[in-house]
Amino acid sequence: MRKYAVIYRSVFMENLQYAANIAMGFAGYFVFIYIFIRLWDYIYQTPEELIAGYTKEQMIWYVMMTEMIWFASNSSSVARNVTADIRGGNIAYLMNKPYHYTLYILTKYTGEWSIRLPMYAGLAVVIGMLMVGPVPRFHIIRLPVMILCIILGITINAVFKLCISLFSFWIEDATPFQWLYDKLILVVGTIFPIEIFPEFLQPFFKLTPIYTVCYGPAKLIVDFDTGKCVEILSAQILYLAAGCGLMFLVYRKGVKKLYVNGG
Amino acid sequence: MSTVVNRENAVNILTVFKNQLRVCLLSVKYNIMREMVNKVTFVTNILFMMLNNATILVQWVILFHLREEVGGYTMKEIMLLWGMTAASYGLSHVLFARVFSLPELIISGKLDAYLVQPKNVLLSVMTSATNVSAIGDFLYGLVVIGIFCTGVSGLYLLPLFVLTGTAIFVAYALLLGSLSFWFVRMDMLSGQMMMGMISFATYPDGIFKGVSRFLLYFIIPVGMAVYHPVHMMISFDKRLLLTVLVYTFLLGTAAVTAFYRGLRRYSSSSLMEARL
Repeated sequence: MRKYAVIYRSVFMENLQYAANIAMGFAGYFVFIYIFIRLWDYIYQTPEELIAGYTKEQMIWYVMMTEMIWFASNSSSVARNVTADIRGGNIAYLMNKPYHYTLYILTKYTGEWSIRLPMYAGLAVVIGMLMVGPVPRFHIIRLPVMILCIILGITINAVFKLCISLFSFWIEDATPFQWLYDKLILVVGTIFPIEIFPEFLQPFFKLTPIYTVCYGPAKLIVDFDTGKCVEILSAQILYLAAGCGLMFLVYRKGVKKLYVNGG
Repeated sequence: MSTVVNRENAVNILTVFKNQLRVCLLSVKYNIMREMVNKVTFVTNILFMMLNNATILVQWVILFHLREEVGGYTMKEIMLLWGMTAASYGLSHVLFARVFSLPELIISGKLDAYLVQPKNVLLSVMTSATNVSAIGDFLYGLVVIGIFCTGVSGLYLLPLFVLTGTAIFVAYALLLGSLSFWFVRMDMLSGQMMMGMISFATYPDGIFKGVSRFLLYFIIPVGMAVYHPVHMMISFDKRLLLTVLVYTFLLGTAAVTAFYRGLRRYSSSSLMEARL
């Protein structure tokens, strides 16, 4: 465990040096949020109107929180870099090191988002307070459980993205599958809460990573409910366990397919 | 005598232009052929990008379920907006993908390899890479416009507007990228601005008001690249067409001027690189 702590610390310190670079990405987040504020302003005809049980403020905060998670966790470590390692043969060197390759990638990734998440959270709070107003019925005492839920969501997302990347052992380039997964999360998970979809589709979405990665954390922030909180955290723990099992299985099967050219 | 000299000059210019165009087309052709070495990956990239673009339909089906129109647009107009954006973005990344990573070339000193070649530097840089998945964007754009553009006049205008859209995307990227000759760290900002342009281009202009609307038409040229062309495909307007053409020309001129002005400031690096 200590070796992973050392990897985490070194990646964290390295990324801390590039905090200004991360801040340059704020423009993209702001544009996205600005578009959605204008869009929901247009869709909500009266300030009191409810859509799928959400007020306009809740709906905008929901998008801001899911996009915060999206932007903060957006790193090439678990996607492009893993595919490049497998395609380029670099994995042959990394798999012989005294750590498990997948856990090394996850630790590295955690070191990256540990800097990005607080920065994007700060930006989201500033934009939200200035352009929308405070989150209705928000209590600071619930913040630790919300943070735990966000961290679990980001980790589950990383595990599933890593699983997709590991398919490069068979198909050489898994990037197109990453696009589809990302678009599924983005369109179905980040832009709208699950309640906005037809009722017959909602149970299906609860079985997908959307529920644990985006919907769960954002729902707890904009509309906290103790029962819902227990349900979401339980689903996240189950999902994380299943995702890790799948990740180790795919990796174990994948490395048997590895073919390294000499040179 | 002077008429003969003028004619010779004109013929020379035309020959140079034809040669440059031929080199550019060959460059793009070889870029694509290089990517086609692995045919399965090549086809998968294109098909999945088309599928990836199609998933956004879900978002609009839901929004139109809530309201009959969004920002004055119905589903048909939104699809035209998406088609125009995808086709212009796709074509610009198929033909001139390198222009979108120009800051990286400038910062890391990789322009050296282009400067010593007996070709036009700018064209040589611009056509030196192709983004395969952008073929999927381009095809998706054409399919969507083909389905949703019901008027014949709109279809006639399609090639022209895809070309002006592509020219605006490329010119804007070139202008922003060329700023790297003067300022360090323009790569991040340039990338963010391009991403912002694409994000705005896929939402109706009717939801933006005031200063943001002005910005979208003149500073981030989404209005000229996508909004005006879509408006004209629905209802043609000569003045709008002239505005788009003049704007495209001015932006293109500004971008090329900025690149060559900046190139004078470019200092070579010790990076050793060979281009075949």
